[in-house]
Amino acid sequence: MKGIKKDLKAWLLLCSGLGTILFLMGSTFYIVVTQSLGLYNISGEDSRFTLQYWHDVLTNSVFQSSYIYSVKVSLLGAILSIIVSYPIAMWLRNELPAKVTIITILRAPMLVPGLVAAFLFVNMISYHGILNETMVFLGIWHEPKTLQNDEFGWGVVILQMWKNIPFALILIGGAVNSLKTDLLDAAANLGSTSWQRFRYVIFPLTLTAVQVSFILIFIGALGDFAFYSIAGPRSTYSLARLMQMSAYEFEEWNQSAVMAMMIMLTSAFFTILVSIIIKPLAVKRGDIK
Amino acid sequence: MSSAKITTKNSKIIARISLTFFVLVNFIWLVLPFLMAGLWSLVDPKQPWSYPDILPPSLSLERWQMVWENTSLPEAMFNSYTIAPTVSLITISLSIPTAYAFGRMEFRGKKIAELLTLIPLVIPGMIIALFFSRMLLDLNISNPFVGIVIGHVVLTLPYAIRILSAGFSSVPQDLIEASRDLGASKFTVFKDVYMPMLKPSFLASIIFCLVKSIEEFAISFVIGSPDFITVPTILYSFLGYSFIRPNAAVVSIILLVPNIILMMIIEKLLKGNYLSQSTGKA
Repeated sequence: MKGIKKDLKAWLLLCSGLGTILFLMGSTFYIVVTQSLGLYNISGEDSRFTLQYWHDVLTNSVFQSSYIYSVKVSLLGAILSIIVSYPIAMWLRNELPAKVTIITILRAPMLVPGLVAAFLFVNMISYHGILNETMVFLGIWHEPKTLQNDEFGWGVVILQMWKNIPFALILIGGAVNSLKTDLLDAAANLGSTSWQRFRYVIFPLTLTAVQVSFILIFIGALGDFAFYSIAGPRSTYSLARLMQMSAYEFEEWNQSAVMAMMIMLTSAFFTILVSIIIKPLAVKRGDIK
Repeated sequence: MSSAKITTKNSKIIARISLTFFVLVNFIWLVLPFLMAGLWSLVDPKQPWSYPDILPPSLSLERWQMVWENTSLPEAMFNSYTIAPTVSLITISLSIPTAYAFGRMEFRGKKIAELLTLIPLVIPGMIIALFFSRMLLDLNISNPFVGIVIGHVVLTLPYAIRILSAGFSSVPQDLIEASRDLGASKFTVFKDVYMPMLKPSFLASIIFCLVKSIEEFAISFVIGSPDFITVPTILYSFLGYSFIRPNAAVVSIILLVPNIILMMIIEKLLKGNYLSQSTGKA
């Protein structure tokens, strides 16, 4: 009885903070779901269950290309951020002069808002940017090139990396730091190369951090609006931009809700997929090679 | 006792080379972009900086004055800097009871409840902004200030709850019991035991809420546009619709510098991995 009373008291205390989150996020989510199924229409149309909006969006070629673009750029951004984080995390295990300063510098991009980050990047690569100027100055290029808004979306991938490497570094660095030096020394004594130590010791033991970093970076990138609007390709929209445009510029709120659902479902799909892929990798069976 | 350090023959040289490499890469990756933004904000409007000039022909603070006098920046700053404290105040008040429950109580469903607080962090900002604005319409809330404040509160709640619950859990139980044994009332315990130890967490959460609210774009853009502007939305107008680089440079610096200073204070207050702890991402 005392237990129930205590639980009740705790949940009552949660009402203010968690309650607000659940109420506001829950009702927002409710609007997205019902609107995507035609059960909610604010514009005066009849509200009735229909899968027509899903059909319209999924068969639309603009949506398809924007979906492929967003997933591609988010996957690349997340994977490359993690790949770059590993050597930096390993390097930071060593004793270095001014290590705290180095870590602070490495974290700096996390404090920069997305729009500012995009502006800083555009400054670097624009027609009159430092990259073009340097290449022309060095005689490698005859004249400046248009690097902004590239068709593939490399600009957005680089921006995702710029912003997310520090975040991946916090998670992966934490996992790498918690590895015991004895373990790596033992592997080295048994004659392993650096790559073997990474592959058989470090990587399997830090997979949880990889999983969490991947999921969070991917979800963030999939819903990106700021980076895309400034540095993204001109011929393809990002999902978030297309969603915003459908709602505000074309007044197609139901279709926009379907796109929101697709962003959330894709995030959930990749979260589950990564968990399934990573699980067997973390368990090592058989003789130690 | 620390274990003996195993060093290789060339470790000193390797450390030196790696440090030089770090400095070089970070100069290009970090310092140069900021330097360029600074330079662009100081370009003299009378002598534009164009190709093939490597450096601006002349520098002045005129651009700062022009942006201040001829754009809606003062209004945007006023909006941003009134929304942010309001958001902080509401968020902290809503967070305290929840953070206390997370930090000092054991109850059924605690893990799930902790996970649920992170929902606003995993749903993309633009989804929240768009459909949240629909909900505001349903609730007949047409005032953009109120709408943006509510939106920002939801976004900042997870951070405040995390930081404060870490603060609550770090207060030693012995101290609370000792003061209770000595006859202190619940209020005295809160005032004399909890409060002094919670001060850094309180301050850090307030600053975190301020920073997050000032830099938030999607909600302010969707709910506020076209009439109600904040610093990020005015920056977007200089970047998105018509690219006015010197103006964007000025607004970027205005948005960035206070943020960095405030975040450095948090770093000092919470010493260490506040980012991973506060967002539950560790």
